[in-house]
Amino acid sequence: MLARGVRGSPTLDAPMTLLPSTREGPVALVAPEQAPVLARPFYAAGPPGPLVASLAQVPELLEVAMPFVGGVLGPSALDVRTKEIVVLRVAALLECCYCVGSHTPIALDSGLSHAEVGALRGELSIDEGFADPLDRALVAFVEEVAAGRGPVDVGPRDLVRRALGEPTLVEITMVASATAMLARYCTTLELPTAAATLVRLEHEGFAAR
Amino acid sequence: MIAEAIASGAVSGRLWLYANYHCNLRCTYCLTESAPGVARRELGEERAMAAAREAPELGFDAIGVTGGEPFVLDYMPRLLAGLGRELPTVVLSNGTAFNERRLRAMEPLADLPVHVQVSLDHAEPRENDAMRGPGNFARVVDAIPRLRERGVGVRISTTLEDPDADPEGLERLCELHRSLGVPDEDHVVRPVVRRGRASTNGLGLRAGLEELDPELTVTADGAFYSPAGPTVTAGALDTDLLLTRVTSPLARPAEALARVVAGRPAGDDASIGVR
Repeated sequence: MLARGVRGSPTLDAPMTLLPSTREGPVALVAPEQAPVLARPFYAAGPPGPLVASLAQVPELLEVAMPFVGGVLGPSALDVRTKEIVVLRVAALLECCYCVGSHTPIALDSGLSHAEVGALRGELSIDEGFADPLDRALVAFVEEVAAGRGPVDVGPRDLVRRALGEPTLVEITMVASATAMLARYCTTLELPTAAATLVRLEHEGFAAR
Repeated sequence: MIAEAIASGAVSGRLWLYANYHCNLRCTYCLTESAPGVARRELGEERAMAAAREAPELGFDAIGVTGGEPFVLDYMPRLLAGLGRELPTVVLSNGTAFNERRLRAMEPLADLPVHVQVSLDHAEPRENDAMRGPGNFARVVDAIPRLRERGVGVRISTTLEDPDADPEGLERLCELHRSLGVPDEDHVVRPVVRRGRASTNGLGLRAGLEELDPELTVTADGAFYSPAGPTVTAGALDTDLLLTRVTSPLARPAEALARVVAGRPAGDDASIGVR
């Protein structure tokens, strides 16, 4: 089952039980009974994941950040398999334990094979995981976006543009960029992976990081 | 949006400023667990004045200052003078910090719309001091006339576990405040709110979003829905009534409050008379 965040969108924000008083981490996760007024809609469906629960410390940021996250990472014109290739590869490149852990099950549920997911996680080479040249170009492009400096290699970018069209290139770029931003956020604040996600990872034979 | 909400009465016209959280007393029902030595969480003169200057344009027509004990801050009389030049101001005080030096510093307030609202809970020293600490009653009863002699307006607030439980005792308290020169219209009686140390001690009425009137409250930690919102429990700031961390420009939290109020069900049962 996909992790569901606010407004039903698949997000990086897997629900979990919040125990802020016992959490060891740089910031407390705001418990439901302490949810600020503007954050309450994000808690209405039950305890939210750590992304919401940490952002709830600054409700005015939560209010704008989660609709953005939902809009970019949730259902959109970009098919979910392509989106998860982008998200998981960026998350793995930036070594975001929370993002990789949370998106491994989502990537599997999107139709990516174990080998493809393993390649995106960096446990196999991309060539071992992906046979389709377009998939390989897509991965090469998002690697440029996420981990590069300065201008990107135009080869993979133009290949993606020619094959998928400009609107899709724009969306892929935004998904990669937003994931990079969130990866740094989640890593810096050491957001914990949900217990249910850890169980699923073990069941699928993937290590938690 | 906020101006309309204030004009319609949906939001209080009083802007509250939490000057600080530390205090020379340690009252049993304190919402903010204030005491000597706690984190000051001081708003500061500059931020307080900035909020006060923005307030009239947004539709606010009065300012309230609370804490902690505001008068443990040496600059409080000067700040109150500045606030009073912007809008009528009331400052809540335990009334125990008015030594001769502070009383002299209060004299310029005589010509301004600034009132000191002093806490006095019982007509008898023993009952009063049981909640607020030894010697409190005597210092308050001494300070009130001395403030009034200097032309400073004084009001009295009485905080009781059950305001209806002892009408005779309340009447004795009213006789006392009248004898100190404070008329009935300047006496406020309010219930203990079950937050902060009151909650820890099992005192007071529950007070959440549904029970409290919307009154924008600015603190060093952000803006809150009510002055009963920025409470401290077990040393941690409560965030359930937090509106925004941003407090400047004041329009940001003010508009957030207006949005919250606009989304609240209609009804007049929200108030528990916490002032």
